[in-house]
Amino acid sequence: MKILDIALKDLIRSTRSLFLIGMAFAAPLLITALIYFSFGSIASGNVDMPTINVGVVNLDVLPANSLLEAPLGESIRSMFFDESVQSWIHASDYPDEASARGAVNAQEIGVAVIIPASFTEDYLAGNKDTVITILQDPTLSIGPTVVRDMVTSLLDGVAGGGVAFKVLTERSEANGQALDPATIPTFFETYSTWYANFQRAMFHSPDKAALVVKSPAEKGDTGNNVQSMMGMIMSGQLIFFSFFTGAYAMMSILQESEEGTLARLFTTPTNRTTILTGKFLAVLFTVIVQGAVLLTAGRYLFNIRWGETGSFLLSFMGQMFASVGLATLLVSFIKSSKQAGFVFGGALTTLGMISGLFTANIQIAAFDLMGNFTPQGWVLKAWKLSLAGQPASELVVPFLVLTTMGIVMFAVGAMLFRRRFA
Amino acid sequence: MSYAIEVKNLKKSFGNLQAVQDASFTADAGEVLSLLGPNGAGKSTTISMLSGLLAPTGGDASIMGHSVVSEPESAKKSLGVVPQDIALYPDLSARENLIFWGKMYGLRGATLKQRVDEVLEIIGLVDRQKDHVDKFSGGMKRRVNIGAALLHKPDVIIMDEPTVGIDPQSRRHILDNVKALNRQGMTVLYTTHYMEEAAELSDHIAIMDKGRIIAYGTHDELIKLVGRETRIDITINAEGGRVLEAWRSTEGVARIDALDGTLTALVDDSNRVLPRLFDAASKVGVRITSVDIQEPNLETVFLHLTGRALRD
Repeated sequence: MKILDIALKDLIRSTRSLFLIGMAFAAPLLITALIYFSFGSIASGNVDMPTINVGVVNLDVLPANSLLEAPLGESIRSMFFDESVQSWIHASDYPDEASARGAVNAQEIGVAVIIPASFTEDYLAGNKDTVITILQDPTLSIGPTVVRDMVTSLLDGVAGGGVAFKVLTERSEANGQALDPATIPTFFETYSTWYANFQRAMFHSPDKAALVVKSPAEKGDTGNNVQSMMGMIMSGQLIFFSFFTGAYAMMSILQESEEGTLARLFTTPTNRTTILTGKFLAVLFTVIVQGAVLLTAGRYLFNIRWGETGSFLLSFMGQMFASVGLATLLVSFIKSSKQAGFVFGGALTTLGMISGLFTANIQIAAFDLMGNFTPQGWVLKAWKLSLAGQPASELVVPFLVLTTMGIVMFAVGAMLFRRRFA
Repeated sequence: MSYAIEVKNLKKSFGNLQAVQDASFTADAGEVLSLLGPNGAGKSTTISMLSGLLAPTGGDASIMGHSVVSEPESAKKSLGVVPQDIALYPDLSARENLIFWGKMYGLRGATLKQRVDEVLEIIGLVDRQKDHVDKFSGGMKRRVNIGAALLHKPDVIIMDEPTVGIDPQSRRHILDNVKALNRQGMTVLYTTHYMEEAAELSDHIAIMDKGRIIAYGTHDELIKLVGRETRIDITINAEGGRVLEAWRSTEGVARIDALDGTLTALVDDSNRVLPRLFDAASKVGVRITSVDIQEPNLETVFLHLTGRALRD
């Protein structure tokens, strides 16, 4: 009963410590909020790509005796009318530059693409003076940039086709083979089909242009990269602040020593194990509450699925044991609360860094290796597995490692405390 | 005979430092025993051993018949300890502090609530019970500090210099509380370096110096140690060495020492000896600038036994 009394007293004091509340809840939630405002809408899948109104003036005609079946201008025009871009580009034809310019000025369209009459002939002849004119509404930035990039990309593709055709011709001649003119249209058709698919696959769709994330744990979803990234970032935060909160809460034993209340507790009929266990419980409960708050925030702000229930619980429990164990060990080395800021800041930041907590969304081999020797590294491994949708059976090893680490660190710390206060 | 407090050949060493050496004294149930001595005399170390904070290097002590070495939990149940420094949770209210300390002594439920209410009455903080302790004055904190040791109605209460650094009003309140507790039958072990407090409160006084109990008895018994000697503090206008030797050989002077720039003499009859001291000073060309005569008291006793002032 006294154990609970001591734990309750410590918890009440914790709720009255602005610093602890700040570091345990406010700081991580503030960072969470910042990330949310930066990526939240993407993570939740609400990508609002504004529709770009494009006017196309295609004056290009196929030169006489051309090997092409259609002028290049038609390829550029058709790109804006392609089915794959209809959700974010609304294209319309204009007969001449004047009418397109008028539409831009009237803000009926945001961008006008004007392809000159001799574009195919000039381009194939290597005439560097040939130009495609792009007119834009000066109040817009993203739409015209996207249109310009699309045109540039297509022309790069045409240039690539030219290079490929030249190489094909030269190699045929070098081998003493004459290129059959009948195969040339087929060659260009094959190349243009490949290039069109390549372009579509790259960014002709907002679903491809922007990363949209759903949890990998969610069955049937595979490409949810941003949400996965948010899960990693949040788990790194969760682990760092959990260890920090544990250490700071455990520091109450040093505060009590300095306030004289620890010595006074020793004068009551309460043994030292009861006192230490009570304080341990308070730290454990604080870490649980803090973790629960951050996990809930991650779930509802970022739609992060932390994993299957069993995996989630093993990760969370492993994290609790390890953070309380490390907290006990760290605080047992500290002589006064004045040293705590330096030691906690240094030790926990260093351990967090080499364990990859601050780069949780990036695979760094050195951190993966060093993480094998730190409790934070193992907690991160556990959360990565859980976030990846692994079953609980895959988390047994990390959980056992973390539990063992927690028990050993707590035992060593408790022994040092008992010696100090013997 | 069973004592409320019995200390037998208690020893405590810290490395080569012998903080307490063969200390022995007793206190009957219902009496106030003061442990008097200057800072560093070993008072706090002695009570730390009695209250279970430090393990003795040798000897033993018992509280209500329970050895602090072999039955520490039983001894602690009979004991309330008021530490020298405030030992309270500053961010808890007075009432929250009392509730917590009551629980640590095993009180629960209605009994706990009743005792907390009673103690708040005793320490005079009913109106401020919901205020956080860090908002209190030094004197009010001292009172809560004492109250926390009274909750379980201990047979013995140890108070370690409870009046250090507080205002006269709070000091008076604490001394009156000690008397009231004693009237209720509580045995009080009171450590102090203020001889007035020891004289006012105590049935017995143990004087401690350099880890040893150098005198033990009632106030009157201790005063008798110095006989009829009167203490005279003399200030002169020159270096003391010139007149010290002359005064030491003056008839009626039991001892004379230079303390804090003042010459302090123990004499058998101040009316008779004082003119001789003036004469001797004149002969060596020293002028006496002030004289303070004190009837025998515990300060005199300590000076008589150690050659040093109690406040040194």
